[in-house]
Amino acid sequence: MAGTVIGEGLTIEGEVVTDDEVVVQGAVRGTLTSGDVVSIASGGVVEADIQATSLSVGGQATGNVVVTDRVDIQAGGRLIGDVKAARLTIADGASFKGNVDMDV
Amino acid sequence: MSDGSIIGRSTTVRGHVRGTGPIRVEGSVEGDVTTDGDIDVGPEARIRGDVSGATLRVGGAVAGDLTGTEAVLLIAGARVVGNLSAPRIGVAEGALVRGNIETGPGEGQRVVTSPVAERRLPVAPPAAKAPITPVRAAVPPVRRAPVRPPAPKTVAKPVETPSPRAVVPAAPASRSATRAPTPVEPTRAKPARVAKPAPAPVVPAITKGIRGRKKRAGQR
Repeated sequence: MAGTVIGEGLTIEGEVVTDDEVVVQGAVRGTLTSGDVVSIASGGVVEADIQATSLSVGGQATGNVVVTDRVDIQAGGRLIGDVKAARLTIADGASFKGNVDMDV
Repeated sequence: MSDGSIIGRSTTVRGHVRGTGPIRVEGSVEGDVTTDGDIDVGPEARIRGDVSGATLRVGGAVAGDLTGTEAVLLIAGARVVGNLSAPRIGVAEGALVRGNIETGPGEGQRVVTSPVAERRLPVAPPAAKAPITPVRAAVPPVRRAPVRPPAPKTVAKPVETPSPRAVVPAAPASRSATRAPTPVEPTRAKPARVAKPAPAPVVPAITKGIRGRKKRAGQR
């Protein structure tokens, strides 16, 4: 599987700093910094500022997002916070509230 | 629980990791790791905190206590500074441990670790006996203490005979001080009161009572 998987029943309260790909099925509260792709699965809850190369939101994310490549908010996903990314997609059925800065 | 959690090799978690399901730690955790499932600690893992789970298989570095509800197994490459506590504990060759190792309570366990249990048992009863003896030792001096100061008073009759004798030598001792006249007079009055039942001060008491009347009659 991916480098770091935060399983369904797991909660991490604190900072997570990694170079790996991160899949969040549980909960992360604090900050999440990755050098690779971060994907939040549909049951995942992230209450943290996220820094990654790429982010995919299928669950709930609350916090500011700074991403170098792309942010995808999938149907059923919910993102509350400011987004700074090069590319952004918001699928039909997704929820989003915040500012978007695409470095224009 | 479909799949467990993995904390990758390049991941550093500064905070607690809590939850359910198995966890495999190959990175670094500065905080406690608590779960109800199994925990695997890889060879390059570093954990600074307590680890609690069902079965712990440790092959990396841990600075903290390892508590397993089922077992704690240290394999070669493990470097643990902390206490191990589980019903089953295994330390393989090549593992390094520094700390207490306790295979937990359980009636079957007591039979196995009987020399340790026997050494522990006698510690309890002397601790139970110790508080009793100072209480008993404290009681008699408490009873005797109030008796000595009220010696002139008739607190206890058997003490009477020594007390006037004790008081009389005390009076000449106090005469050396400047308080000589005042203590002498009350000491003379006291043996007069005491004389009715006691035979000691007989001479001044003859003037009273039947003998006194007879004497007066004899004198007359």
